[in-house]
Amino acid sequence: MEYRIEVENLNVYFDELHILKDISLQIPKNAVTSLIGPSGCGKSTFIRTLNRMNDMISTFKMDGTVLLDGEDIYNPKVDVVELRKKVGMVFQKPNPFPKSIFDNVAYGLRVHGISDKDYLAQKVEESLKAAALWDEVKNILDKSAMGLSGGQQQRLCIARTIAVEPEVILMDEPCSALDPISTTKIEDLIHKLKNDFTIIIVTHNMQQATRVSKYTAFFLHGEIVESGLTEKIFIEPEDKRTEDYITGRFG
Amino acid sequence: MQRGYPRIRFQKKLDRLKEEVDTMGQATLNAYRDAFSTFIEYDPELVKNVMETNKKVHEMGYQIEHNAMSIIAAEQPVAGDLRFIEASIKVSSHLKRICGLASNIAEVARHVKDEEIPEKPMFDLQRMADIVDGMVSKSLAAFLAKNMNVARELHRDDDKVDDLFDHALKEITKSMFQDKESISYSIYLLFLARFLERIADRAENIGDRTIFMITCEKQQFTLEKKQE
Repeated sequence: MEYRIEVENLNVYFDELHILKDISLQIPKNAVTSLIGPSGCGKSTFIRTLNRMNDMISTFKMDGTVLLDGEDIYNPKVDVVELRKKVGMVFQKPNPFPKSIFDNVAYGLRVHGISDKDYLAQKVEESLKAAALWDEVKNILDKSAMGLSGGQQQRLCIARTIAVEPEVILMDEPCSALDPISTTKIEDLIHKLKNDFTIIIVTHNMQQATRVSKYTAFFLHGEIVESGLTEKIFIEPEDKRTEDYITGRFG
Repeated sequence: MQRGYPRIRFQKKLDRLKEEVDTMGQATLNAYRDAFSTFIEYDPELVKNVMETNKKVHEMGYQIEHNAMSIIAAEQPVAGDLRFIEASIKVSSHLKRICGLASNIAEVARHVKDEEIPEKPMFDLQRMADIVDGMVSKSLAAFLAKNMNVARELHRDDDKVDDLFDHALKEITKSMFQDKESISYSIYLLFLARFLERIADRAENIGDRTIFMITCEKQQFTLEKKQE
């Protein structure tokens, strides 16, 4: 199996707090991996480590290695802007910029120095189509993104992320603020996107993990208790703590 | 980690499902005992009881399926809970079949009520019936208590039933040759032997479902044996 990301013996601290403890996890290429676990178990810290979002926190310290395509992303020579182009992120709450729909999707491309209007228009259309939003917005591209529904805004954020052609898309509870119909659209989109991207999704929704992901890792108190095929984890978990969590037996 | 179990209503639903399988199993076991008892000593009341229980057990089976589906829809169970619910549906289906076979035995009892049954084949059939009785009890107990050891014993018991079945067939066939007059009711003895053997298979199936529920392992042993 080919891995896009390989994490070895990762420890993360915020001040004295030991948040992630000796995490080792391999993320297969072009597949969806779900991260599950109770609040505060370190899932979000973990995915924020994968595109160096934690660097912005002054108390952040880490050791261990995070390899993206075999390259250490914490090597001082790594350009963080370039890294975040390769590892895009979609957040829990849709966060479009207060700009037009077109400008939202074109934003990342412009940041990376692209100004050719025809090329931008082509990439915006491709990205919106890939995010299954094009038909709904093709006639209102110059309208503010803030006027879209929550589900549309989230798909717009996905379009904005994929416009810069990342290798990995990190999704931190992307459907938690959405209604069931919008959630289904995002989940269908995730299924489609996995052919071209490696996706890591943090979710509190067990059924979503079983629906969208091939692999699952269960986090508890900053450690990975169990990881592997989603089907195996949800039908026949090996660790009692995994079974207790997924069956709702944690107080 | 704070221990506890917040899904109290869910656990209650699972407990109720288990109780329903238990009730269905006890009714099935009683129907089987009544059926064999009326075969030995004909009692029209018992025959009626078996037939009525068979109808009730069928209803119980549908109720278990309905309740299991409603738990799946409302609670989205996973892991051990899901395997238990799936096994409950399968076990209830085997119990329905066992009760159906018990009613077949009661039906046969009607046809042989005035006949004197030859001693030799009856000896094997009585032994078969005793082992089958134990197997139905054991299969139910193994499932309810999630007991692998008891579930595994059913394989050995089923082998004994199969041996007795083969022997009974020979004896019944022999008695048919020896006394042509007996053919009309000896055929019913063959039916009885067959029904007992089928019930033993179903009890063994319940044991296999129990093992699968606990370990997710298929019982290749049973599959291979049936193909021989």
